[in-house]
Amino acid sequence: MRGLLASVRFALVAAGQNFTRNLAVSMAGVFTMGLIMLLVGGTLLLTHTVDAILAQQETQADEIHIYLQDSLSMRTIADYEARFSHDLRVNGVAFTSKDQAVVLAQQRGLQLQSAFNVLGNNPLPASIDLHVRTLGDLGQLNNLAKSLPIVDTSSGSATDYNPGVIPRLQSLITVTVWVGGVLSAVLAVISLVIIMNTIRTAVYIRRTEIEIMKLVGAGDWFVRWPFILEGVFGGVLAAALGATAVAVAYRFLLTQANTQTYLGITFDGRYLTAMIVLLVAFGAALGGFGSFLGVRRFLHA
Amino acid sequence: MSLAAVMPPQVGQKPDPGMRPVISFHGVSKTYPNGTEAIRDVDLAIYQGDFCFVVGASGSGKTTLVRLLIREEIASTGRIFVDGQETTRMTRRRLPRLRRKFGIVFQDYKLLPKLTVAQNVAFALQVTKPGQRHLKEKVEETLWIVGLEDKLDTFPDELSGGEQQRVAIARALVHRPRIFLADEPTGNLDPDTSWGIVQLLLQINHRGTTVLMATHNREIVDLCRRRVIAIDSGRVVRDEVEGGYLREGEATI
Repeated sequence: MRGLLASVRFALVAAGQNFTRNLAVSMAGVFTMGLIMLLVGGTLLLTHTVDAILAQQETQADEIHIYLQDSLSMRTIADYEARFSHDLRVNGVAFTSKDQAVVLAQQRGLQLQSAFNVLGNNPLPASIDLHVRTLGDLGQLNNLAKSLPIVDTSSGSATDYNPGVIPRLQSLITVTVWVGGVLSAVLAVISLVIIMNTIRTAVYIRRTEIEIMKLVGAGDWFVRWPFILEGVFGGVLAAALGATAVAVAYRFLLTQANTQTYLGITFDGRYLTAMIVLLVAFGAALGGFGSFLGVRRFLHA
Repeated sequence: MSLAAVMPPQVGQKPDPGMRPVISFHGVSKTYPNGTEAIRDVDLAIYQGDFCFVVGASGSGKTTLVRLLIREEIASTGRIFVDGQETTRMTRRRLPRLRRKFGIVFQDYKLLPKLTVAQNVAFALQVTKPGQRHLKEKVEETLWIVGLEDKLDTFPDELSGGEQQRVAIARALVHRPRIFLADEPTGNLDPDTSWGIVQLLLQINHRGTTVLMATHNREIVDLCRRRVIAIDSGRVVRDEVEGGYLREGEATI
């Protein structure tokens, strides 16, 4: 037990000494790996954000607005609402009045005041809004809506149905996930190669130390542990640096995006925390594994 | 205090009949992948307490012999035994235990420049015997044996070549090995310093440690009159109990 504790202490102290005695080489490795971590983290977060935006768009796409004529009575509208609510393809029905349509348009940032001044009244139609169970039913419901006598065709179309948008969104989500995945995998391999070579350089500097340890009768794992711990330490430090940079950039870019666009992206703190934990674990594993591979060559020399 | 005064008498070099050698080579050859035959059909027996010079010109196979002993190289054919254990078939896992039987010094000292003298010596104990009690006392005692008790906190770069070699000897000695291997330990030293190092090795041998010293220092071998194993082109050409660098009557240019 005393021997084991002494070995652990030796490995920890040696790892710390290795790191600080060759600070320039160690920090070069940490910064290089930190940069890779920044790229991996950035890619993950970007993929997630794009995915979230697209998912949000997809949620909105399962809605169809049936534009109504201005002259309809509330009773007629209620009859049609009830009719749609009994349709099995429909998940939810809502009514948007002309005034509510103005409010919603203004929330999306549309400037309607000049249009009101020219036209003298509210040009936006009221609508019955249907949420469909499956996106494939949108086309059929659109055809049904167009045949109804209550629809307003004065603006050119009876609904806001856009048949091309759904497949485009779905393929965009698939592409984003794939590109993000492949990019992350490529970056992971690159960082493994970089950390391996950095550790190999660090190990090369200390080859005499390894040689002496072997000659005086140290076991392979006794020689390996300080280097592996040093790799883990460097990996965690690099991941912490990368993750901090990603988190700061995420906050900043999100604020900018929400100020300058109307995407309404929400800050996903849970995903960010999970990503930081993942990056740190990934950094530790990568650093440890890179060191294991780096020192292997010298052990078997 | 003279070191010889605290040493036990020299262990006999002539073994009792039937005594098991501490090191033995049986028909050992070593051929490198490029075809160079470094050692050819070597048979040797070295006993506990022996002091052996392994002599020969550069490239004759002295270093290969040492490297084969500590399993830095694996014999192409033949069998090597250390302390009754066959090393030629030993697994990698068992090598550390084998190497702990040896204390090894080299021509280039192989000291860690960023560690002090005491730390360099302690390093060997920390590696071989983690958790060793009285580590400081053992290190100081060993440095006293090699005459460097006042250089504990000095760095290797601040020492002379002879002193650096003494630190290397202390590091090799601190875990009390059974066999002491010295590969050209005086190769980088002037004659006076070399003689000091050899005297130190003789004193270590007086304590009962088997010493095997590869050298091409003729003067030292001739002065000591100890066992001489001469190697030429990888073959053992002479094995004398109290020999000189050259065979009696043999001369070189």
